[in-house]
Amino acid sequence: MKGGALITSVLAGLPLLGALTSLLFWSNPARLKLSSVVWSAVSLGSIAGLSGQFVIPPEGLLPLYLLPLTAIISLLGQPPHADHRLSWITTLAFLGLGLCVLTNQPPVSSLASMLLFSAVALLLYRHHSVLWPMSWWGIGTYVLGALCATLSLAANAPLSSVALLVGSAVLLPLMPFHDGHLTALTRLPGNLPSFIVLLLPIIGLHGLATVLPTVPDVVAWIVSLFALAGAFYGAIKALAQTRVRLLLAYGSLSFFSMLWWFAAATRTATPRSALLVGTVGLATSGLLIAWQVVRTRYGDDIDPQAVSGLASGMPQYAVLLSLLALAAMGLPPFGVFAGFMGLLLSAPFPSSGGLVITLLAWLAASWYIMQMVQRLLFGLRRPELRYTDVLRTELAALLIVVLVLLALGLAPATLFAPDQTMSATHSIMGRSYGIGNDN
Amino acid sequence: MTLVLLVPAFLFVAAAIVLVGPDRTRHARAKIAAYPVGIACLGAVGTLYQVASSGPIEIRSYNLSSVASFAIPIGFHVDRLSAIMMTLITSVSVVIYNYSVGYMFQDRHARRYLAMICLTDFVLICMVSSSNLMMLFLFWQILSYLLYVLAHNHGHPGTLAGAFKTFTLLRVADTAFLAGIALAYQLYGTLEFQELFVRAAQTPIALSLWPGMEVSGATAITLLFFVGAMGKSAQFPIHLWLPGSLFAPTPVHALLHAGIINAGGFLINRLAPLFGLSSTTLHVAFVIGTLTAILGATMMLAQNDIKKTLGFSTIGQMGYMIMECGLGAFSLAVFHLVAHGLFKATVFLNCGNVIHKARQEPHFPHVDHQVDEEELSRLTWFTGFITTLFIPLLILLVTHGVLRIPLLESQGTVIFLFFIWITSSQAILTLTRLRQVASWKVSSVMLITLLFIVFVYLFAVESFTAFLYPDPEEVASYFKAAALPDWLFDLMIVMATLLTVLGWSYLYLRAHGRTIWMPAWIDGVRIRLYVLFMNRLYADEIYQKLGVILLRILDRFDKSAQGWSR
Repeated sequence: MKGGALITSVLAGLPLLGALTSLLFWSNPARLKLSSVVWSAVSLGSIAGLSGQFVIPPEGLLPLYLLPLTAIISLLGQPPHADHRLSWITTLAFLGLGLCVLTNQPPVSSLASMLLFSAVALLLYRHHSVLWPMSWWGIGTYVLGALCATLSLAANAPLSSVALLVGSAVLLPLMPFHDGHLTALTRLPGNLPSFIVLLLPIIGLHGLATVLPTVPDVVAWIVSLFALAGAFYGAIKALAQTRVRLLLAYGSLSFFSMLWWFAAATRTATPRSALLVGTVGLATSGLLIAWQVVRTRYGDDIDPQAVSGLASGMPQYAVLLSLLALAAMGLPPFGVFAGFMGLLLSAPFPSSGGLVITLLAWLAASWYIMQMVQRLLFGLRRPELRYTDVLRTELAALLIVVLVLLALGLAPATLFAPDQTMSATHSIMGRSYGIGNDN
Repeated sequence: MTLVLLVPAFLFVAAAIVLVGPDRTRHARAKIAAYPVGIACLGAVGTLYQVASSGPIEIRSYNLSSVASFAIPIGFHVDRLSAIMMTLITSVSVVIYNYSVGYMFQDRHARRYLAMICLTDFVLICMVSSSNLMMLFLFWQILSYLLYVLAHNHGHPGTLAGAFKTFTLLRVADTAFLAGIALAYQLYGTLEFQELFVRAAQTPIALSLWPGMEVSGATAITLLFFVGAMGKSAQFPIHLWLPGSLFAPTPVHALLHAGIINAGGFLINRLAPLFGLSSTTLHVAFVIGTLTAILGATMMLAQNDIKKTLGFSTIGQMGYMIMECGLGAFSLAVFHLVAHGLFKATVFLNCGNVIHKARQEPHFPHVDHQVDEEELSRLTWFTGFITTLFIPLLILLVTHGVLRIPLLESQGTVIFLFFIWITSSQAILTLTRLRQVASWKVSSVMLITLLFIVFVYLFAVESFTAFLYPDPEEVASYFKAAALPDWLFDLMIVMATLLTVLGWSYLYLRAHGRTIWMPAWIDGVRIRLYVLFMNRLYADEIYQKLGVILLRILDRFDKSAQGWSR
């Protein structure tokens, strides 16, 4: 037990130590960035090396691998600049807190969650601009999350379960607690949105895995209603957006809501759920990095229609963005599709209406994401624009995302943890429809 | 066994040869890549021979009992249907690829384009040889995206709009396909074709859509799959993407109309045992197919641009093919799609020459206006009589007596013979115009040719059916499942015959300058209909209007729901 505690402390402590040591390079942004990338890589290596020596969370090992990996790519996608130093250090600190939540039991994990909520709320309070003004709703949602984390620690069941569920709904966005997600993705500084979009939902899923089996039926039913509403609402709102970051925020809300619907139906969060959450987060992270490439060249919050013809001027970028878009809209052979199909095939549908809404939300993604990509990449080449293809670090970041999404789309679901859901589903169907177990 | 894998592998290699390498060797590499494409074609022919002589080939990279643990279970099931499709796709690809190398010479994006052509062939081959629904869906989806990319000239707003419309409309159909897959797995617990067919046949399941309304599991699944097939095969009302994609380079059309568009027909044939369990779905397919065939053919007649004419001709032909599926004549549909694919690829590859020639010669195509004849000769009436009445009787007698096909028990065969009569007679009427100047010699040659074509066709179709579905009981069961009520069937045949003969008479008399009394309002309707069909039923405009309304609603909703985070 003591050994396990030591190992989890090492896993969480390495990135925090990295954040501290990286402060030594504060005056040199390039070195600071390099140090942050190296510490994230060390964290990834430590997880790979120590994976057999701590308790595997119910959602499997995939989230643990994805967290440092996403930290690396989000750091790589950011150009070295003095303005980004805080976000790089914060990335390492958040990575440490995230790993702490995932690998520890309460009260340590609850305390880490509380710190994370508070830190995000504080950052949102500090960082806003004319283009993205202060959002009290968003900050308030994270404050609520922090309160819920405290309550889950202090109160007894069923209040603690409800608090944990609400906290999970803030992290893994579920209507009506989705404002924090939207605000974080649009207002957090530097590379943080592209890291947060994976980190918080993964932690939310972890909480969900703990709390879902304990919630009463009526709560699960209400959750599934909110989930369907969220999937539809997210898709509708994404269709109406012209601002890329908001579009991606609403799009990811729609996909995460689908996960909530499946989770509420099965009352569990399996490695398949982690695959969907992880790949949606990773694909959105990749798209945010791709958008960062455009922002670096043409300014913040530029209208995609004002930048067109990137396919001819930036061919490498065009190919990578196209592949990322395919992954994000849930097309095979990428991981989002694998996660989505995994849930479709493993869980019995609670209602056909719900399935229709989920599929419509899935369909809508190909409209809004494709439209965004088409506006950026195709159309006439603009003579007034200077086209510079992706830099080496940007290329590396985007390429890693695409390759990981592809690998996750092709790998068997049992790679990161054995999944019991499938055999359970088989037996359920066998009983319901009298299907012989002859396969 | 490995021969099967070599077919897609060589196509992939061809794509890689075109794509990877320095720019100065671009054209040389494009030429070299033609060899692997050709070898893939030979491999497909070899596979067809192997499958025909030794039975289906199975290659699986996964354990059947754990199929769902793989996101995409990769496996190949090559039976006669797959082998025929592989041969068709690769043989058309050889021609199209070689044509494209010359056609796209010096084009700035020729490399991307040629690689995409090879990749599309690769995807098509993998799709038709899939061993399970999941793998088929994977390549089905990739195909939808490739159609978007193959539009090629993404700087041109019209092309871009067409490509986007293609992608989004196909995705609508793909979503139904996906729902079908999920439902099939939920109900029968497998996505393997053979197992799915066995379980669906052995386990009748009733699904309650809402209180008082039940459908069988097979009907629900096949209806969803059918919507998926409608998308790829451009069936009304999801046909709009096909005319919208006409800005793409000509070889793309050849590939599209000869290979890609057949995906819908292939899907229905691949799942024929499942479709055979649902009369409802087959009837829906019959109605949709008939509607598409009529509308496609009518719109084709009213177009004034060669690519659009051919595009709508394809829509009509695909409608015809789906209609054949709806009649339970699955093998005929495959025969039709092979014949149509070869024909349409040739026509598309040649249409550039026609346009070129028309620009050089102001009188091309030749106006075939002879001096109108005043009287109808005996010869004309005699030829018309033989073509329209005697030949059908002869066909019926030969079919019934020599081939021993039970006509009265098989509506599908009756309809098939009926269409043989209509299409061949129409062809002969169009060719000769039954002019009274035609000599006995010409008329005899044409009639003999007609008879020859009809009987060879009939023989070929019979042989093809026996090749594709060796079990006659299976064929009979499909026809039985698709059978319409007798009164409806007889009524349709009689009405169609009357309309056809009346139409021919009217056209013939008008072509010969005869005055036919017609109420004025009919002439008015005729003109309005012509304008309506020339504008393709204003379907594009309606879709656009709906899109604008939808976006306006979304915008209003967005504005009313903003405030919190914006």
